[in-house]
Order: sequence, then C-alpha cells, then structure tokens
Amino acid sequence: MRGFRRPFLTLWALVLILALLAGCTRSGGGGGAGSDGEFQKVEIQPGERVKVTFWHAMGGVAGEAVDRLVQRFNSSQDRVEVEAVYQGSYDDALQKLRAAGPEGPTIMQVYEIGSRFMIDSGMITPMQNFIDADGFSTEDFEPNILGYYTFDGRLYSMPFNTSTPIVYYNKDAFREVGLDPEQPPRTFEEFKEYARKLTVTQGGETRHGASIALYGWFFEQFLAVQGAHYVDNDNGRSARATKAIINSPEGERFVNWLKEMVDEGVAINLGRRTAETQAAFSSGRVAMTMDSTAALGNILAGVGDKFEIGTAFLPRPEGANGGVIIGGASLWITNTRPLKEQWAAWEFVKWLTRPEVQAEWSIATGYFPIRKAAYDEQILKDWHAQRPQFITAIEQLRSSPLTTVTQGAVIGTFPQARQIVEAAMESVILGQATASEALAKAAEEITKGIEDYNRTTQAQ
Amino acid sequence: MSLAARLNRLLLYVALTVAAVIIVFPILYAVSISLMPPAEVNTFPPRFVPSTPNWANYADVARTVPVGRYLLNSLVVSAAVTLGQIATASLSGYAFAFLRFPGRAALFALFMSTMMVPWEVTLIPNYLTIRSLRLLDSYPGLILPFLATAFGTFLLRQFFLQIPRELEDAARIDGCGRFRFFWSIALPLARPGLLTLGAYTFLNTWNQYLWPLLVTNTRLMRTVQIGVRFLMNEEGMQYHRIMAGVVLCMLPALVILLWGQRYLVRGLMAGGIKG
Repeated sequence: MRGFRRPFLTLWALVLILALLAGCTRSGGGGGAGSDGEFQKVEIQPGERVKVTFWHAMGGVAGEAVDRLVQRFNSSQDRVEVEAVYQGSYDDALQKLRAAGPEGPTIMQVYEIGSRFMIDSGMITPMQNFIDADGFSTEDFEPNILGYYTFDGRLYSMPFNTSTPIVYYNKDAFREVGLDPEQPPRTFEEFKEYARKLTVTQGGETRHGASIALYGWFFEQFLAVQGAHYVDNDNGRSARATKAIINSPEGERFVNWLKEMVDEGVAINLGRRTAETQAAFSSGRVAMTMDSTAALGNILAGVGDKFEIGTAFLPRPEGANGGVIIGGASLWITNTRPLKEQWAAWEFVKWLTRPEVQAEWSIATGYFPIRKAAYDEQILKDWHAQRPQFITAIEQLRSSPLTTVTQGAVIGTFPQARQIVEAAMESVILGQATASEALAKAAEEITKGIEDYNRTTQAQ
Repeated sequence: MSLAARLNRLLLYVALTVAAVIIVFPILYAVSISLMPPAEVNTFPPRFVPSTPNWANYADVARTVPVGRYLLNSLVVSAAVTLGQIATASLSGYAFAFLRFPGRAALFALFMSTMMVPWEVTLIPNYLTIRSLRLLDSYPGLILPFLATAFGTFLLRQFFLQIPRELEDAARIDGCGRFRFFWSIALPLARPGLLTLGAYTFLNTWNQYLWPLLVTNTRLMRTVQIGVRFLMNEEGMQYHRIMAGVVLCMLPALVILLWGQRYLVRGLMAGGIKG
C-alpha cells in the first residue's frame, strides 16, 4: 500500500512504456478477457500437482504469512502446487510482470491503483469467469471490498490484502488535558479543537496535537468521506474517466483544514510518508495521527507500554455522509499461461477465501478478512478481544455506503496522480499556493495524464 | 615539540575525532537500533543505546531470510563481476593507452559515449537477452551483463597513460613482447588503479537491487539487497528488524571497503589529477 512508491516513479514510467511495446508484439494473447459464455471449467485430477507460480509484493510479517499459507495449501491436497515468489515492491513486481511475458506468473498480486492498468493490459482472465464457471458464491463477501474490484458488474480480481485509514490517538494524552479518551473527535471542527487542547509545550519541547502525512491516499479518502468523486464519469466507473475533478469544494475544504491546523501550530507537517508520522506518534510526540488499519500491529509494538492507543473513524465536515475507500492489493489470474494452470490458480485463490484462512491471514497481517464468516472463527474473535482497536476499522468499513464514491476512482495513471496531489498538498501547506490554485493545477496535470493514457490504450 | 605545536596537534586530533564520530554515527546507530526491542526504537528523547541487547532481532531475520545463502550469492556474483571487469578493463585500457591503430580515437569516443546511456534503458533489452540465452535464475545471468564497462576502461587507461612510453620502448628493445610488457610491467605499475576499480565494482555489484530481482525467481538465487527489502512491510517499518538485516548485509562490504579504502582514495585522486 505505501512506503516505497515514490522513488519508483521512473519504474512506473518504464512499466507504461513496456506496456506499449508489449501491446505491439503480443496481439492475440488477449483471449479469455472478453470472451464470456465460452469459458469452460477444466478439472484437475488428484495427484496431478499442477504447478502455479504466484508473484507477490508482501515483505516482512505479511511475506512470512504468505509463505505459511502457501505451504499449508500445498500440503492440504495433491492436485495443485503453488510456488510463491516475492518480487519486491508493488512497482518492482509490476515492472517484472511486463518484462517477463510468457515466463510470467499464473497469479499476480497488484496494488489497488494498478487495476485499470491490469484490465487494459490484456494479460488477465477476469476472476468472474472462474466464479461463474465454477458456480462459486461470493454472497458472504464484504460488499465494500468487492466493490473496488468490480467493474461493469464483474469481479476482475480477488481482493487479497485490504485496509482503510483510521485515526490513531493517544488516550493518555487525552486524559492529561481533560478530554474523554472514549470520545474521539468526529468532525473537522472537533478534530481541530482537540488538536489545540492536545498541543502542549513543556520545557521548550512541544507535543503537537496531530500530524497527518501529506499522502495522496488520504486525500482520496477525505474526498470520499465527503461524498465527492475524484474523476468524472462516476469515478471512471460508468464510463472511462476523462478528467480529474479534485479541485472541488470538498478537496479544497480538506486541504484548507490541514493547512489551518499546521499554521496554527496544533498540527505538525512531517512530509508525505506515514512512516514519519507513525514514528512521531509511537514516540508520543504527536497525540493524533492517521494511518492504515493494517499498521495497528506495528504501532502497538512500537508504542509498547508507553501509553494507551485508541482508534477512531476519519473525521468529516458536519453533515457529510460518504465513507472510506479500501486500499491494498488483489490477486489477478493471467491468461499467458495454459487454461489448466489458470484453473489450478483459481483453486488456490478460492482456498484463500475460506473463512479460517482469512481469519489467520487477518491475524498475521492486520488486513481485513474479505468475508463475513471469518469473524465467526474463534481465533479471530479472541484476537479482536485483545485488540479492540481493530473493531473501529471494521465498523468504519461497514458503515460506508457503497457508491461509486466509495468504490474508488479507476484510472490507468493513478501512481502519478497520487504524486501530483501530494505535491499540490505540500505547496499549500508550505504556503506557496492557495488550495484552489494548487488543486486546479493538479487536476489539470492529472487530466493530461489520463488523456495520454486513454489515447494510447484505446488505440490498440 | 613546542607547546604551541602540541596544542595545534591536539586541536587537530579533536577535530578529526569529531568528524569521524559524525561520519560513523549512522552505522553505529544502525547497529544500536538492530539490538533494540521495537518499543525502544521510537522514543523521545531518542535512545542511542538499547537498554539490554535484544539479539532476537537477528534470530528473526535469520528465520525470515536465508542470510547465509544470500551472502554467498552476493559474494560469488560481486567477486566474479569484479574480476571480470578488471580483466576486460585492463586489456582494453592498455590497448587505448599503448597501441596505435587506425580509428583509435573514434573507437575510444564510442566507448565513452556508452557512459551516457543510463542503465535503466538497457535493463529490459539485457533482460530479454539473458532470457533468450536461458540464463534466468543462474549465476551467469547475474554476472554476464556487467563484465565490461566503459568506466573501467576509462579509469585504467588513465592509469596506463601515466606510465612513460620510454619504458615500453626500452622493454621492446630488450625483446619484451606486448603481452609480457602488459603483464609484468604495466599491470604492476597500475596496481592502485586495479584495486580502485575492484573496490568500486565490488561495492556497486553488492548493492545491486533491480537486476537481481528481475533475473532471479527462486528464493535461493536471490541476493542480500532483496533479502533486506523483504524485511520491509508495506504498512510500516519495523526498523529494529530492518537494521538487523542491514547490519548483516553490510558487514562483508564494510570489510572490503576498509581494506580497499586507501587504494580507493589514492587511486581516484591520481586518476583525477592526471585526467
């Protein structure tokens, strides 16, 4: 989801260039993508051990969890044998996918903002094909999670690791300044008010009330919380997006709210990366911050017994009735491999969605389980009893109305768009431009990127 | 020694010590963080020394990543690339410095111009070549593309140019052949250059990330930098584990650097002055 994207912008550019090159050389490889109705199930016999390669970008504890699950799957049956290969960051992995061609994987993990790109690549078989041909039911799945990866009513990829942002706050600091630690701020105004009270200077050292990373993902979330679209044509979901509409009153309201808090000295600007705000929060230098729900485990470990941690919904302007958009990544089945291998891949993907597997995955990584039945698993219940902070995340997700706003925008140039928005937020916070100027310019830049992308992909 | 001179010297040493501490600090801090429990990494005021060394971080890293195998892979690849580059660069550098042949200047200019091509541009073509040679996931695949560089040729040519031509003439008159002159006279005289190139190449290869990631697919063929990257999580940094990994992967490179350091400094300066 986060972290290492920025230095790899050049890589993303390379990926796009390669996409064009590949588009020229391998026409006719796009079978399966559009040919519905004809898609037939291929049975795999016991003992066949059909080999499936799974490329992923999960490092650290999540990477270990992937290896564990794959091992469990392989020893649980003898029809399919999965090999999980770590391929660096999301951008690294995507670049490698483009270069690899026929040597590529059967299952590919791609971050959520790479979805449009994957659909347009012509390299994938939509997940819905397998779901329909296999008679698989997704009824019990979280609609807000499926929503993101559903395009024109069809599920293109299987959600794998899913998170949303939430507010993390220091309960001890709340008590110290006389705020009720069980009543976190709910509105923009309250948040600012709380930040004011929580900002304390002692012995020349200031503890700031809040710090929010100037992260493009957060900007997207706060648009959605206010019910605003990011791009036209209903976030690119009713038809291909043609322009960015981020310079809306909602966009400006969020950026101005950030700027007012920083200008007043009750929030501190620590740059674009949540690694920084997370470190400041964990050390107690900042009383409230925003981070991914999946960062909870890391924050709990980083804080230790220094203070008590609370979590809360993202604040919103009074009366706003939107919700959050999920982030993370999903699994795609490629069409560059034989059909039998694709069906073997589906067996593994299907196994991953089992409630008990989802419960284990969620516990190991902090990502959401993608289906509701996982919450009935005893191990997950016990886990949540120990970490009541995670309940907030689930409630926030479930209380988000599923609309094209909370489904999230789909554009082929999302990684660049994020950088552009981040630069715009930065210029406002640093006082180099007003919110309306900066966002108008950013919208124009993103629109240009979308136009270029649409021209090149539709020409094929 | 007079008092003033002593005082001078004392001041000099104090200044040097301060500078050394500043420069070494990041490395010492990395070692220190690698021994901290997670809750100690982020504290205010920051802690520089762990309360009790937490060796479990290293055990964690060793459990997650096959450190020994990755170190071996990196060592094999870096050593092979280093030796290969020294071999090719010294031969071509010698040719450009001593041999007279038609088109020498043009050829040398062509060589130099390849230094202007960013490596990112050649990344994919190289990958396709290695793939078509069926060398993915092998040591040769990791090594081959880096066996010859224009930079190495340029660097060693500069060293060879410092050797007086008269020396060659004298040797030739005494019946010394071209290769023997290269091997027994020119190479030993260019030793600082060879070691400079060696240390530089070794460290560069050791630090490679994208190429090994592209051409390897099995866990056991990966190199140390990919191992370190694997310790990072998309949702937040666990600095204690990352630093433990970094320290493990840095040690061999550090040893090489300390050993080759004096040649590196001397070599680059010599090349620069003559350049």
